[in-house]
Amino acid sequence: MSLSSASLDVIDSLRKEILKNNPTDLIQFCANYFTRQLELERSHFLSSLNTQGTKMSGSTFPGRFGSNSNPFGGATTNAGEQVGSGQISKVMEEDETDTITSPTSPNFNFGNSGGQFGAPFGGDASGEGPPSSFKAADGFPSQYGMGRRTSVSAESLNPTAASNDNWSPPFHHKTEEQLQRLKKSISGNFLFSHLDDEQSAQVLGALVEKAIPAKGIKVITQGDEGDYFYVVEKGSFVVYVNKSGSLQPGPAGLGEEVATIRPGGSFGELALMYNAPRAATVMSAEAGCTLWALDRITFRRILMDSTFQRRRLYESFLEEVPLLASLTKYERSKIADALETHKYPSGTTIIKEGDAGEAFYLLESGQAEAYKSGTQGAVKQYTKGDYFGELALLNDAPRAASVISKTEVKVAKLGKDGFQRLLGPVESIMRRTKYDEGVEEIDPLHKK
Amino acid sequence: MKIREAGQQMAAAVFHHGSQSQAPLTPEQMAQANEHEKEFIAHFSDTQRPLAPGEVAESPRNKELGKSSKGLSIRDFELVRTLGTGTFARVWLVRLANPAEEDRDKVFALKVLRKVEVIKLKQVDHVNHERSVLADVAGHPFITTLITSFSDHDSLYMLLDYCPGGEVFSYLRKAKRFDENTSRFYAAEIVLILEYLHEREGVAYRDLKPENLLLDGEGHIKLVDFGFAKRLGNSEQQKHGKKSKGNVNIVPGETYTLCGTPEYLAPEVIQSKGHTTAVDWWALGILIYEFLTGYPPFWNSNPIEIYKQIVSKPVHFPNEPAISPEAKDIIRQFCTVDRSKRLGNISGGAARVKEHPFFNGVIWEDVYYRKYRGPIIPPIRYPGDAQCFDTYPDEKAGREPYSDELKRKWEDHFKDF
Repeated sequence: MSLSSASLDVIDSLRKEILKNNPTDLIQFCANYFTRQLELERSHFLSSLNTQGTKMSGSTFPGRFGSNSNPFGGATTNAGEQVGSGQISKVMEEDETDTITSPTSPNFNFGNSGGQFGAPFGGDASGEGPPSSFKAADGFPSQYGMGRRTSVSAESLNPTAASNDNWSPPFHHKTEEQLQRLKKSISGNFLFSHLDDEQSAQVLGALVEKAIPAKGIKVITQGDEGDYFYVVEKGSFVVYVNKSGSLQPGPAGLGEEVATIRPGGSFGELALMYNAPRAATVMSAEAGCTLWALDRITFRRILMDSTFQRRRLYESFLEEVPLLASLTKYERSKIADALETHKYPSGTTIIKEGDAGEAFYLLESGQAEAYKSGTQGAVKQYTKGDYFGELALLNDAPRAASVISKTEVKVAKLGKDGFQRLLGPVESIMRRTKYDEGVEEIDPLHKK
Repeated sequence: MKIREAGQQMAAAVFHHGSQSQAPLTPEQMAQANEHEKEFIAHFSDTQRPLAPGEVAESPRNKELGKSSKGLSIRDFELVRTLGTGTFARVWLVRLANPAEEDRDKVFALKVLRKVEVIKLKQVDHVNHERSVLADVAGHPFITTLITSFSDHDSLYMLLDYCPGGEVFSYLRKAKRFDENTSRFYAAEIVLILEYLHEREGVAYRDLKPENLLLDGEGHIKLVDFGFAKRLGNSEQQKHGKKSKGNVNIVPGETYTLCGTPEYLAPEVIQSKGHTTAVDWWALGILIYEFLTGYPPFWNSNPIEIYKQIVSKPVHFPNEPAISPEAKDIIRQFCTVDRSKRLGNISGGAARVKEHPFFNGVIWEDVYYRKYRGPIIPPIRYPGDAQCFDTYPDEKAGREPYSDELKRKWEDHFKDF
């Protein structure tokens, strides 16, 4: 296959430029040359769209054939004329007051410069800036990069339970005091704040101690692949950002010092989501530092395995509920999605006789008992896998009994409204199959 | 038409289904297969009358689409120019090498994936899902058509129909924003895509954004890049048909791999809660917002800040431009953090979306059968015109080779191509 004439033209004009300029740094020269060409070509294309009369709605807005009531057209403004009014939106104002950034996230601390890391044609992940011909326009948030956005992806993982391996999360012992400190460090982080107790315990257990004995050790290097998240246990670390997007050789190669991280601080959280190039270099500022480290695969597997198991558990619980027998697997999976986990200490009244029934409960762990007024002692015992209050899904009758936890319990709760939102009115589900036998016997909460 | 049918029959005789391993072909058989396949693709045309959703998979033409080729190779194509690049793929505008006189104008898009890169970036599962999902949906009016696929020593190839209009992204950035009618037109076609993918195929697309929406010659949407598409256990077949006893389907309704584009990620993806087809409805909300304002509701130069906003902040609308209450409402309903309340995911599914006031007056049959005219008609001068696409730098030289060691370990994973 020989090169097309267009390719030959490009090569030829590059050759002319090189001959003319005789650059010392040839690669850089070529990179600049092509970036310029690209901008030219792009702006040419865009202006040609304009002059060639690309049809953009407005009066030329095409209607539906043979109809004048067109939901997509009519007397509308021309999209091409919708140049902003120069007002910066509220979105903008809000964002300026925003939160503290992890210094290792790409583009950390670049103020309003919107600095770009990484190559302009972007091999990877975040922070990719636009080729500069797209300038933020009037009425636009001035910092919003208008370039093409690159997709990101973590490695594909399959739940342990669904594969054949026997993975269990690593566990590294910590003192109670260390655990408390770690909990405090990560509790405000959006990647951890929603974890339940078990997940949280597993994640804390998986954090591994990493000694940084000397001053000047680079824990993470700008531009490198990111695999680990770190919490500082002892000592301090300095964050450097080189505007080129990666650590450069030489004394100035670290770039600008932008922050110091002290005990309780953390860095590298983006690495827990996917592999993006590190946005900063982090170096120990003294001897005898200690870090806690957590890698992405471990973190994601902990979350995935526990979620997967819980969902399968919920689905299998739901399968046992006669009232829901006519649901398909898909519908049960949707319901499993909407279940909320609640924990109660022993002696808690979970549902109260006489109250309006609004939710249905699955008992995930622990024990509970049902009591009815006028009856001595418990009328029913519940253990793991049992459920109660499901008739609330069916009608508005008041609760026929109270259910009180006997031990600490974990329940999965499904509200009537959630059920109906997801699957529609219960009656239509009931109608699908005969549901005529023994509901009352099964559920003592049902009023005869 | 006769010729095309003949081509189809011949192709039917030689194309094989990817996963079946067969005895190697003799050189003569290879040559013969190559001839037949070239004929098939030369007579492929994407301008067929749209078929009803139920017919898409059944039509004889569409059944022949998306199969793995035996005899084709990169030598059968002339690479004209690059149409787009990704982290491990490059899409070329191609035409047939040495075409017959009447096939001179036939152009295609050829997606080339380097095996080494696919392995290194741990995307082996994703490229296989992409090939298999595209093969299954081939022929849908608003989804790019996989004509065939093949592979050689170090690359995987997917031959797709060429959408000369380029990316909706380019038009959006040029126009700054779309008016509501234009936005509604594209949103409506996307609703039909999602309805089909979710409710018929059980597929979550997972990377909706203006960059992945191309325009065909008439200005209709073609969804491209199925690199993150994944089949989940919630298709209609599972919902209604076969409830095979004992043989419990092990495909769960949710998946766990974080993927997508930062601004468009749903909260449950960011927080690793296991995600479902509901993520696409979230992304559609973001998309409509970006159509109407020119930028997505959650943005920051630092991705971590985007994620913090997505999980905690409601969508906020600017004062300018004015956005109709219906549009605001549908965006808010899609961008609802609680999936059990998210439009599209709640009871009624896509049907409920179609009934939303934002789509008032839309005749959905007419949308599907392409009876509405596209709001933007791409300026195309001749069949292989690529002026609507941006230009991209050439590939870097000195790529890592696909070593024997890698081949031993991975080659089997690419057998479907």
